[in-house]
Amino acid sequence: MTPARIVLVVALLAYPFVDRALGLQTVHAVSDGMIYMLLALGLNIVVGYAGLLDLGYAAFFAIGAYAMGLLNSPVLGSPLYGHAWSFWLCIWVAAAVSALLGLVIGAPTLRVRGDYLAIITLGFGEIIPVAIRNLGDVTIEIGGWRPIERLNLTGGENGVNPVGRPYLPGVPFETDPIPWYFLILVIGALSVWAMSRLHDSRLGRAWMAIREDETAADCTGVNPVSTKLLAFALGASFSGFAGSVYAAKLQAITPGAFEFQVSIMLLCMVVLGGAGSIRGVILGAMLITIFDRVVLSQTTFLVRWIGRATGVSALASIDLTLWRWFFFGLGLVLVMLLRPQGLAGRRVRPMATEDASDEPAVPELSAPPRLEAVPEWLKARAAAGVDGSDAALDVQGLTKSFGGVVALNAVDLVVPRGAIIGLIGPNGAGKTTFFNVVTGLVRPDAGRITFAGRSLVGLRPNAVVARGIARTFQSIRLFPLMSVLDNVLVGEHCRLASTVAGAVLRPPAVMAEERRARERARALLAFVGLDGKDDDLARNLPYGDQRRLEIARALATEPRLLLLDEPTAGMNPRETDTLTDLIGLLRRELSLSILLIEHDMEVVMGISDRVTVLDYGTRIAEGTPAEIQRHPRVIEAYLGTGYEAEAAGRSAPR
Amino acid sequence: MLELADVHSYYGNIRALRGLSLSVERGEIVTLIGANGAGKTTTLRTILGLVRPRRGHVSFNGQRLDALATDRIVRLGIAQSPEGRHIFPRMSVLENLELGAFARPDRDGIAHDLERVFSLFPRLRERIAQKGGTLSGGEQQMLAISRALMARPGLLLLDEPSMGLSPILVETIFRIIEDINRQGTTILLVEQNARMALRVAHRGYVIQTGRVVLHDTAAALMRSDLVRKTYLGEK
Repeated sequence: MTPARIVLVVALLAYPFVDRALGLQTVHAVSDGMIYMLLALGLNIVVGYAGLLDLGYAAFFAIGAYAMGLLNSPVLGSPLYGHAWSFWLCIWVAAAVSALLGLVIGAPTLRVRGDYLAIITLGFGEIIPVAIRNLGDVTIEIGGWRPIERLNLTGGENGVNPVGRPYLPGVPFETDPIPWYFLILVIGALSVWAMSRLHDSRLGRAWMAIREDETAADCTGVNPVSTKLLAFALGASFSGFAGSVYAAKLQAITPGAFEFQVSIMLLCMVVLGGAGSIRGVILGAMLITIFDRVVLSQTTFLVRWIGRATGVSALASIDLTLWRWFFFGLGLVLVMLLRPQGLAGRRVRPMATEDASDEPAVPELSAPPRLEAVPEWLKARAAAGVDGSDAALDVQGLTKSFGGVVALNAVDLVVPRGAIIGLIGPNGAGKTTFFNVVTGLVRPDAGRITFAGRSLVGLRPNAVVARGIARTFQSIRLFPLMSVLDNVLVGEHCRLASTVAGAVLRPPAVMAEERRARERARALLAFVGLDGKDDDLARNLPYGDQRRLEIARALATEPRLLLLDEPTAGMNPRETDTLTDLIGLLRRELSLSILLIEHDMEVVMGISDRVTVLDYGTRIAEGTPAEIQRHPRVIEAYLGTGYEAEAAGRSAPR
Repeated sequence: MLELADVHSYYGNIRALRGLSLSVERGEIVTLIGANGAGKTTTLRTILGLVRPRRGHVSFNGQRLDALATDRIVRLGIAQSPEGRHIFPRMSVLENLELGAFARPDRDGIAHDLERVFSLFPRLRERIAQKGGTLSGGEQQMLAISRALMARPGLLLLDEPSMGLSPILVETIFRIIEDINRQGTTILLVEQNARMALRVAHRGYVIQTGRVVLHDTAAALMRSDLVRKTYLGEK
């Protein structure tokens, strides 16, 4: 433990007794503030980690509170009346019920993002308090017959009052705020502990990958459906704890305590402090709570005093607490203008490396790939993959049209194991669409796609990755605000096994798996020439490095077939040469099959075994590079007559 | 026509340009050559006012640019086809092109230039009603260049125009660049394909770590050892 941490723990433990000794009586308020902090932290999983904007999070708070209230202290008229459950059982039930409803609200939102998701959660946040109000007096009448008459499930507008308190022998929960403080402190500390472990786990990385680029995450082997549902469920479960403790502490709950403003205030805590950062969210929650409870009322006294002293009656009678939303909004606007990543948010540009007047004589290229260092584990995996199943991609009659435009028209293409196949064609010929269909991003209208003898049609992209096919994107799609190392680790996602419980409890098996994953990722980074950049944000890498990182990420999924979409686009000749060597090496050392879209003819014709040419979605030629270069239709549609002259001009000076 | 003198530009605390100076005369094609991260794109962004220089100045036809807003700079007659295309994905091809001519009042001229870009890139005419975002990568590149041309700029900034284009289109693009230039547009060209760039350009600047290390006529640069080894890939 660091000294700072010891001081923090001592301070947290000593605080209520100091408060009592000094007669400050702030423990109640601080405990309430900690409950809101816990709520904000739960919301941070959904908004900060997974990037899913939730405007109705207070609904889960309500569900937690009512699960406690209704089970622990059933209202008069409820079927449970007279059968109270223990507080200690109820907090777990509340968390479970919240998590379950998290799944229910999460499920319909899986297909939508951004604005649409926010609207759905907003609706959910509105529905819950209304439902609670109306379930206080339920009468069902069917033609004069009333099977249910004036049934009171929730206490309606009056809510549940009183809510029973926890019972522990010898602990005065009824009269003393200090036991409450410690109860909430323990729950909060355990939650922070669990959350920070989740953040640094396979699941945490998957959440952030989804936040950064859902399509790329899917194509890297992360299942977006289960990953997002877990974010909703886990985020909601923490609010279940917070809500149930809140209900028992306050002893009374009403639907009015869970309105829209609560959701917004929690969201403000997350955004103000810095979405995604536990420290930031804690800071945001503290600032907003202190401002709300302390600063406004104290400033009111001050302003009134000044008003009285100077004789300005407008000031003497002011009540700043009525202006809380005004100041609140103003503060938020200022923070967003000055520090959009939040007060403790991660800096998205590197710190100043103020030159030291470095003047490299040659352009600062990053280290070239260390081609001798093909990671051993990857070799071992590749060797293990030779299990007789011939990892060939066989595509027959693939057809896809978008509206009236036929993007692919009965295309046949075979990539034998260990072959490099070039896929070329004019712009808009359907090459990238072909990749998208094979990787499951787009469903074909007709045709067969088999890989290693099994059909791929209908599989989601992450399932295709699990089968052993990885890809890169034409316009680089990394996870820009994640570290270089984490980008590669997301690639390993589908080859790792740790679960939620494993991520939090970290049994030895998970620890070992995580350590191995990091070793593998570092070996891959060294291989492509990115060692020493583990902690850089992907977005801060120069262009050529980003391309190589994308390849490292694809290799981390342990593919047997690699689809590369214009890997040398935007690279200078030197970088292109290194990349070409790298591709050749992957085939030679790892028996990887490679399908390559590329416009640099020197690359395509240099390393491809065979080349397929598409034009307007139709295959117009297939053959060896030499055959393709002479093919009249290819020259006419794609290469151009100047190509031969250009090729001649290029080889001449050598 | 365009002059950059001792320009220092930063991204946050990163110094991207370290005292870069260059000039472009009316009627020229000038190319910037350099590795990824050398500062080529930053130079273009500084000219357009998307990045503000902390030191030095940028002037166009004698007028200082470095205090003007980007839309004002564009109205002075500078248009850019950006790297990474940045077309408007949910607008049609035609709407994208019309927005390129946003600052122009002359309806007839716009109609004429629309015909001109369609004859340069017949593929765009085929896709006229399609949404920009549904075009293939290469088609988006054509659209980005065409959109810049629609502003009928006096100075055209081209950032990696050949990226992602088929060989036949690369040739076409460079032919079009020469055509546009002959019709009176001055061009500042950033390219990875240094061979093609130097073939069409009159002069070139080699940029390393944010400053100019070499500048000369294109023909002379083609012969220089530094350029041949580093940027033309000759061994």
